[in-house]
Amino acid sequence: MLKKDKDKLILEHYMVPEHIILSEEEKREIIEKFAGGNPYNLPYILATDPVVKELGAKPGDVLKIIRVSPTGYKSIYYRLVVRR
Amino acid sequence: MSMDKEVTKYAIERVKFGLLSPQIIRKMSVVEVTNPDTYDDDGVPITGGVMDKRFGAQEPRQTCPICNNTGMTCPGHFGHIELAEPIVHVLFAEDVYNTLRAVCHSCGRVKINEDKKEKFRKTAALYKKFRKDVYNLYVKTIISKAASVSTCPFCGAHNPKVVFEKPYSFFKVVDEEGTLEDMYPNEIREILERIPDEDLIFIGYDKDVVRPEWLIIEVLPVPPLTVRPSTQLESGIRSEDDLTHKLTDIVKINTRLRENKESGSPALIIRDDLNLLQWHISVYFNNDLPGVPAAAHRSGRRLRTLVQRLSGKEGRFRTNLIGKRVDFSARTVISPDSNLSINEVGVPVEVAKELTIQVRVTEHNIEEIKQYIINGPDIHPGANYIIRPDGRRIHLSFVQDRKALADTIAPGFIVERHLKDGDIVLFNRQPSLHRMSMMAHIVKVLPYRTFRLHLAVCPPYNADFDGDEMNLHALQNEEAIAEAKMLMLVDKQIITPRYGAPIIGFGKDTITSSYLLTSQETNLVKEEFYNFLSILDLDTLPKWLRSRYTGKNMFSLLLPPDFTYSLTAASEIEPEVIVKKGRLTKGVIDVASIGAEKADSILHRLVREYGNDFAGDFITKLSKILDRYLISTGFSIGAHDLKLPKKITTKIMSRIKRALNQVNGLIQKYERGELEATKGLTVEETLEREINNILSKARDKAGELALKALDKDNPLYIMTISGARGSSLNVAQLTALLGQQTVRGERISRGYGDRTLTHFKPGSKTAQARGFIVNNFFNGLSPTEFFFHSMAGREGLMDTAVRTQQSGYLYRRLVYSLDHLLVDHDYAVRTADGRVVQFKYGEDGVDPARSDHGKPVNVLRLVESISLLYPKGAAASTEYIDNKLQKIRNMVPESLVKELRDVLIKKKANRSVVREAIKQAVINYKTSTTDPGSAVGVVAAQSIGEPGTQMTLRTFHYAGVRERNVTIGLPRIMEIVDARKSPSTPTMTIYLTGRFAKKEELAEKVASKLIETRLRDVVTEATIDIVNRTIMFALNPEALREKDLEPEKILKMFTKKYSASLKDNYLIIKLANKSLEEIKKYRDRFLNRIVSGVKSIEHVTVEKEGNEWVIYTSGSNLKEVLKRPEVDHRRTVTNDIFQIYEVLGIEAARNAIIYELKKTLEEQGLDVDVRHLMLVADIMTRDGVIRQTGRYGIVSTKESVFSRAAFEITVPVLKNASLRGEEDRLKGVTENLIVGSRAPVGTGLVDVYMQIGERRGRKQ
Repeated sequence: MLKKDKDKLILEHYMVPEHIILSEEEKREIIEKFAGGNPYNLPYILATDPVVKELGAKPGDVLKIIRVSPTGYKSIYYRLVVRR
Repeated sequence: MSMDKEVTKYAIERVKFGLLSPQIIRKMSVVEVTNPDTYDDDGVPITGGVMDKRFGAQEPRQTCPICNNTGMTCPGHFGHIELAEPIVHVLFAEDVYNTLRAVCHSCGRVKINEDKKEKFRKTAALYKKFRKDVYNLYVKTIISKAASVSTCPFCGAHNPKVVFEKPYSFFKVVDEEGTLEDMYPNEIREILERIPDEDLIFIGYDKDVVRPEWLIIEVLPVPPLTVRPSTQLESGIRSEDDLTHKLTDIVKINTRLRENKESGSPALIIRDDLNLLQWHISVYFNNDLPGVPAAAHRSGRRLRTLVQRLSGKEGRFRTNLIGKRVDFSARTVISPDSNLSINEVGVPVEVAKELTIQVRVTEHNIEEIKQYIINGPDIHPGANYIIRPDGRRIHLSFVQDRKALADTIAPGFIVERHLKDGDIVLFNRQPSLHRMSMMAHIVKVLPYRTFRLHLAVCPPYNADFDGDEMNLHALQNEEAIAEAKMLMLVDKQIITPRYGAPIIGFGKDTITSSYLLTSQETNLVKEEFYNFLSILDLDTLPKWLRSRYTGKNMFSLLLPPDFTYSLTAASEIEPEVIVKKGRLTKGVIDVASIGAEKADSILHRLVREYGNDFAGDFITKLSKILDRYLISTGFSIGAHDLKLPKKITTKIMSRIKRALNQVNGLIQKYERGELEATKGLTVEETLEREINNILSKARDKAGELALKALDKDNPLYIMTISGARGSSLNVAQLTALLGQQTVRGERISRGYGDRTLTHFKPGSKTAQARGFIVNNFFNGLSPTEFFFHSMAGREGLMDTAVRTQQSGYLYRRLVYSLDHLLVDHDYAVRTADGRVVQFKYGEDGVDPARSDHGKPVNVLRLVESISLLYPKGAAASTEYIDNKLQKIRNMVPESLVKELRDVLIKKKANRSVVREAIKQAVINYKTSTTDPGSAVGVVAAQSIGEPGTQMTLRTFHYAGVRERNVTIGLPRIMEIVDARKSPSTPTMTIYLTGRFAKKEELAEKVASKLIETRLRDVVTEATIDIVNRTIMFALNPEALREKDLEPEKILKMFTKKYSASLKDNYLIIKLANKSLEEIKKYRDRFLNRIVSGVKSIEHVTVEKEGNEWVIYTSGSNLKEVLKRPEVDHRRTVTNDIFQIYEVLGIEAARNAIIYELKKTLEEQGLDVDVRHLMLVADIMTRDGVIRQTGRYGIVSTKESVFSRAAFEITVPVLKNASLRGEEDRLKGVTENLIVGSRAPVGTGLVDVYMQIGERRGRKQ
């Protein structure tokens, strides 16, 4: 019988794009480039989001999301992990 | 405003909200109101009364005693009333309550332990600065936390529980029994005064602008008379404003209360007076308080007090601040004129003489202007006013000798001249649903009294000529004129941003005409041909023309000589339309080629490839030709065109007869009880469905026969086939039969008891008794048929009425949720206050209005047309193509690179073609990107809101064959953007793994195991044995087998917690020591236990999709279903967006929103660019949670107070803004509109600066 590793399931779903935790340096660069130095200007993702929990990201991290785009083939989105 | 005064212009930079302290109120007051009377016997305002002269001058000749201005310029001055007793401010009563709960009544500190306070303060400060929404929640939690503490952690005092009774009464609980004691405003005020400034941040006050005790009013400001002007009635009696009335009441009671207090009246009387004063003041603020009698006039009309003045559709915000009245506008009936260009508008001379444009006299135009002055106000290109350099205005109709006046004109004068040919004006038709509802036109002054417009511009305005009126606005400055001309002119708007295809194009008669003109056999007489040619202004005729004066050639002359294209026509006569090098060689030109709202038509290609100017010209010229041609050939329709040959009529009749017989047979079968139900349906439903099938098939067949029977030159046929007007259904209804009439999607069943009309037998289910119409419009309907037809017609009318309302509100919510979104200079979409929503607009930066049906480059078309230019050469190698593409990778989106590669390889392009195509693709992409400052949010809202009215309201739609039905159309769109917790019809699409997907039986088995089954579903009887304290469940073996359950399995579920056993098909559970009542409860609980399946999955159907079996369900539970091993967890989805959010996260939820919106719109046949849907989804999910497009969702996260207040819940928004000390920095659209300044959007985002003085950087 097929056995399912319950935890990894959602990351494999086609509706869930790839989420990557940015390094401190990349994070600073993105915040500078898009948010004018204020991380709260980025879009958010909750720390309780199933994908965040799966990745083990912490509040304050910035996630890079590689979206499959209907117009641009692939496009990049960033979200700041926040508590709420 | 007087012209002679120097006026300094200030721009409002920001607006700070806060409360007025009693000190400030007293300081700004110019009069203390103590006298309730208004005027004395001579009609002079009483000093110290509510109409005191010091409130400000009203009449133009009156001077203000305070500021010395006259009525025109005096701004009015505030007064005040000193209250005898403090009064609770009703609007803030709830906040007072929360504060009283959170704060110690004796020391005033917020009841949180000192050690926690520092941390809380830091977090609160952070949230207050960066996360306004979270700060509000945070305050709420702190308050509820502090409220639960009764002993103060600082002073140890015991705090009584406070009880708040809406709208303004406070009590405290004084003993254990819960005895209530009044808390008077005075006492409350003292408590609030004790709260230290540094604790205010915990309970939501901004210490810089608010003190909590200010929420208890001790001095009431009295607004100036400009706010509450009195009006003189015709009879000469003065009538006072509602506010004045209320103020006199307040003064009256206040005086009485003071006198009673001073004379030492009994406490009871004082309390009554206090309550009365509280009521008057509360009603003065808001005359619509729940549980409070409203103040009314003697006539019974309710007073319109402060809150009513501001809020709602008729309130200050929505009627005066968002919607402003304008000068320089005109409105009249519209009529068509195909002699105009599409860019023109015909303006009646009467209008032109009234609307003026200011022109400054210069050396270059002085002669021209002199003539205007001589012509004066009554002769057309004249002028109405002259403004001399000293600012004096001269009305020309009062000037005797205009010729003499004209001679005194010199540069520097300003003349208000009439509107004349060539001026740019804005033209608009309401409802203004999208930006093409207001376009710039070039004036053409014409006789008669209607506005004239070209027929091809009717679609964007949604105009017809059955009495429609339109508005026209004359632009008043060069900047506006230039912008309108460059951006808003009709031909710039041919392509709509909704789907990137022409919205301006041909329709109705012009289509008929072009169909006739370009059909095979049309040959024109030479004279006629040359007559048409005169419209085209051609210098030479192409060689290919020779003397073949066909309609096709006529059309070809309009096309660019290098234009090559092919498409499929709408009509079947010559389905293939081929244009080769500017010649229409094959095919008929119908809607598919030149129709409005058609993508990939000839018209579309022309706009894209030859520019808007060319396309505009093409439309103008072609419509002139088509109009003239239709006039010369003639086209009409009469009753005889609807008559079918006898032979066909008999055929149709017999077909209908057969269907009716079939239906009767079915009904008889049903009545005998022999009809078998389809799975998931009742017998009645099965019968209805079968009957519907038979009857609709019959009508389709009859319609088909009818259409086929029509001659090829029958006007009905021509119009239908060319797409000019009407569908094959219309033809069928006119000539064959109307068919089934429906109400709520079903055969008509309501009426007198169990029949629809008394003409039928009770309970009759026959076709005719249930609204099937066998007659057609030509023959006429029978009385019963006519009645049924009217029923269906009435439903249609109701539907439209409801739909317009619903979609209007949806649209408004969308606009207010998106209007602050702009493309920034880096092509990211940000809110007005700088929060990122998209990192690149639409993920590729392309403006749908500049796209080719959504794509920046039509790659296939590009490669094909370039291949024609470079025909020679072998196909380039894949490496060569990849190499070339590598260089543009960073310049264009990946999707374009991929498509280019695929097409170039497939089309076997040679090296020159590859190079040129890639170069052109980059250029095309760059020119199709948006501009910084584009109001993409509003455009997205328009693109979803505008088609809203076209959507069905019919909620249900049977997807597939069986019982699964889903919500569609407008209700579904609302469900999605409202972010409802669960959809009204949740469904799942479950994909299976491996062998389960391959075999139907296995899939069916998986499916049946998914259905939620409770114990009650597999039990025939549940009995309680009182003696033994047991419950016995009689299991139903058949039901168990169906669900693939064994009795042991069920037993296992109960053995863990209870002593349960099995005895020949009985499940016995022993519950010792339980009373009968308890056992009964247990029985119900056990019966509700889920023994198999997944919770909330109600129905399942297994269907084949491609080469696999897929399960569709009604009811959804993504979390549990994904856990099943047989289920493919990668592809299984639900239409419940919240479940997706909870299980798969915010990004998946965003994808789901886009997918669901897209699916719903497509189903309705509405074309909307994905970029608009993506923007909506992105703003809805921006904050990591799904926010609705409404007052509690996206709108509540807007920074601007004004913008929020203008949307809904005006007063609470303003109230909270003042408590929080919010600031409106006026960055968005709505707020700038409100304060009357230019919004930083589009061209308004750009300013020109001039550097004055030396440039130091240069010199060094």
